[in-house]
Amino acid sequence: MMSKVLKYIYVLAVVFPLVFLLGLSLAQQWQFPEILPQQWTFQHWGKSLFQEGDILKSLFLSLGLSLTLASLVSVLAFFISKFIAYSKYRQIYMRLTLVPYILSPVVLAVIFQYYFTLANLSGNFIGVLIAQLFFALPFGIVIFNNFWNNKLKSIEQLSFTLGASSRQSLLKVIIPLSKPAIVLCFFQSFLVSWFEYGLTQFIGLGKVKTLTVMVFNFINEANLFYAALACVLLVLPPIVLLYMNKKVLILAR
Amino acid sequence: MSQSFLRIQQLDKRFGQDQILKNITLDLSEGKTLSLIGASGSGKTTLLKIIAGLESADQGEIYLREKQINALLPQQRKIIYLYQDALLFPHLSAFENIAFGLKLQKAKNITTQVNAMLDKLGMKDQGHKMPNQLSGGQKQRIAFGRALVIQPQLLLLDEPFGALDPEIRTHMQKLFKTLVSSQNLSAIFVTHDLKEAIIIGDNIAKIEQGSLIQYDSKKAFYQDEKSGVNDEILFWKHLKNETNED
Repeated sequence: MMSKVLKYIYVLAVVFPLVFLLGLSLAQQWQFPEILPQQWTFQHWGKSLFQEGDILKSLFLSLGLSLTLASLVSVLAFFISKFIAYSKYRQIYMRLTLVPYILSPVVLAVIFQYYFTLANLSGNFIGVLIAQLFFALPFGIVIFNNFWNNKLKSIEQLSFTLGASSRQSLLKVIIPLSKPAIVLCFFQSFLVSWFEYGLTQFIGLGKVKTLTVMVFNFINEANLFYAALACVLLVLPPIVLLYMNKKVLILAR
Repeated sequence: MSQSFLRIQQLDKRFGQDQILKNITLDLSEGKTLSLIGASGSGKTTLLKIIAGLESADQGEIYLREKQINALLPQQRKIIYLYQDALLFPHLSAFENIAFGLKLQKAKNITTQVNAMLDKLGMKDQGHKMPNQLSGGQKQRIAFGRALVIQPQLLLLDEPFGALDPEIRTHMQKLFKTLVSSQNLSAIFVTHDLKEAIIIGDNIAKIEQGSLIQYDSKKAFYQDEKSGVNDEILFWKHLKNETNED
């Protein structure tokens, strides 16, 4: 009984904000103390997705940025963390990995800003991607850190003695075994990038308008209906990814 | 004595300041099993890993069929190192685990060879099972099958039965003897257990503080006061006397 109640509370906690935001994005007029909007419209959706297309553009920009970053982090963190895990300087490297977390992303952006301007990386997609990579890569390394252990090293060595080359061992043994860690790293890095605001705004100079940046802009403009619309689009990809993540992890087990 | 199959000469290994292996010299004849005993941390595992190519020696030569193999990669040696843990690939079934090495070799008739091996191991109907569905003894049998099916030149076993209960351990010792003699395999078998060393090995060697003593015969081993055999015999005699007095 208790678990059922908790389940309903959980579903309500997830579904209610979504329904509320969707309602707000379809409202033309919604004044206190009305429970529901007085007027409904598809105008905001039509305008932002098809006529002006600015939110749709931001959605694809965000998807491109987050998917690229998540892929890069998953691949780089996989190999770097392996190197660190089997190094005799593991402790030192892991401490260095945590340095970006001592500073907040915005402080990190202030430090990088000068060099990004020099390298002509400010205000463009590549610059924001590199800036986010500085922050997300250590995060990926931390996720993979505990995955590399003596048992996995022994399994890899055993595959060598059975005749597998380093490449064959990687493709046929290590990657299949690390699927849950790779999926987790991809998902977490995607979320870090997807909801990133300060670093993106600072290095992107407001020119790289991701969906998160757009939401903040709409809120600053007190444009509630468009902010709600952007929010709906903002929460959908993580939900889809969460669902896929769960499926892949279950299959991997 | 037959021609030397594996020959190790003056092998040294250090980890930092610690000298793990000192001037190791060892001979193994073809089709024979050498039992290697020694306390924990005495350098047994390091020696096996050096022979398999998983660690490098600081000094010394290793010859297999009179060919020096020091510079060869583990993949090129056809020497299989088996751990105490069976280390089956958890994402592959028992059948696929045995077929792993054959697939890498692009061998013919893989299904026939794997089924024949499963039959030899007494696990004909278990090929479809995943490692987490197998018992400890079954996992170790599959690990044997995976190693033996690719017909290695040399088998290195690092306390493979250490984690098994006594009944299964006895069964596995018999199975090991049968499989090794049927394929005329040469092997080095590391164990802590004196009885197991005597049952399994055609010859016995002992590592003590990084130095290796290889006995000419089992008799020479029994006669060595430091081998621990006499202490074992005395223990059982004492127990027998006590039981008779009761």
